[in-house]
Amino acid sequence: MDIIKFEFLKLLKKSRGWLGPILVFTLIMIAYPLTVELTDIELGQSFFSILWIAALLVMMLATEDIFLEDFNDGSLEQYAISQNNLSFVVGSKIFIYWLVIGLPISALGSIFCVGIINQPNFGFQIFPVLLISTYIFMNVFSFGNALSLTKGSILGTLVTLPLLLPLLIILGKVVIAINFDLNYSGFLFLLLGILSIIIVIIPMITSYIIRAHLE
Amino acid sequence: MQPIIRAHNLSYKINDKKLFQGITFDLFKGKALHIKGENGSGKTTLLKIVCGLTTPTKGDLTTNTNKKICYIGHKNALKQYLSIEDNLALMNVGNHQDIQKYLSIFDLDKSLDINIANLSFGQQKKIALLRLFLNNSDLLILDEPCVGLDMNTQKILVEFLNQELLNGKVVLFSSHISLDIVSDSLSI
Repeated sequence: MDIIKFEFLKLLKKSRGWLGPILVFTLIMIAYPLTVELTDIELGQSFFSILWIAALLVMMLATEDIFLEDFNDGSLEQYAISQNNLSFVVGSKIFIYWLVIGLPISALGSIFCVGIINQPNFGFQIFPVLLISTYIFMNVFSFGNALSLTKGSILGTLVTLPLLLPLLIILGKVVIAINFDLNYSGFLFLLLGILSIIIVIIPMITSYIIRAHLE
Repeated sequence: MQPIIRAHNLSYKINDKKLFQGITFDLFKGKALHIKGENGSGKTTLLKIVCGLTTPTKGDLTTNTNKKICYIGHKNALKQYLSIEDNLALMNVGNHQDIQKYLSIFDLDKSLDINIANLSFGQQKKIALLRLFLNNSDLLILDEPCVGLDMNTQKILVEFLNQELLNGKVVLFSSHISLDIVSDSLSI
């Protein structure tokens, strides 16, 4: 479990790594109502699109150097040699990044949802969806980041972006369900199902990719 | 007695260019092997093969140790934005009983709150070497360990390695300068 403690320490001390994405997300959320002069109802209609895209882009930004720094300074080599289970290291890194960046962004997204749409129940309903979706985004982008570890990390994340398009469609359906006050728990379970698969597969594949880069 | 490392007919090539071939050696407890060769001859690759980081193109390698390998490579695995103290915590050697001893030998015991980025290359190398000095491994693999080290630290390193050999550990190292360590040598 030391790895979780160490990753937490590293990320907390590197404020650029976690504060940057949170600030970008906050700025987008603040800028959105300022840039359109519409009635409250119209603001609410396109808010969720902005919310998902902002979360997506910010997660992409947050994972930019999730492995790159460790690769460049030799820490990944040490992990690969000393840790029997590199996929656990990868999974722990992603979890810590989500905890420090994804969790606050989910909370902020819910707060902005209440503020902009002016319906408190929307904020509570969207919070678990944000929690799950940011974790999925982070996993997929980390995989992309590992893919192009030696060729500029942003390239790989852009390649993996299309993989998240089906998820955006599901998120759109969730918003429709919430808007019409329908039971959206089915979508929530679907997202949880996707997450439970991704949370196992992505660290495993990513650890193989990292080993290939270390060769 | 079983060797700790048994390498048989190891070969490695990159894009059809043979880096080395037919490398065979056995390394027993308490023995050291000095790998020699020109730049680009494949010394680091061979060490990485022994660490399990790289797969040989041909040949077999068996390591017979239950403990983790201690590897000191070209990269220091230090976080530039963290203090010495935090880096030691990350190395998981922060509570080792000998840590104060080595920090005071290296004259770094009063600089624990200084960021790694503010240290010289040699000082950074000394911190990286703590991973070796406070190791809990049977197999020590060192890739050019003396680069950037002053004479005094080189002497401490050599004394330490000789003591580890007496303790029955296995040392595999590459170095362009000859170290005063009783070792076999392998030229590639």
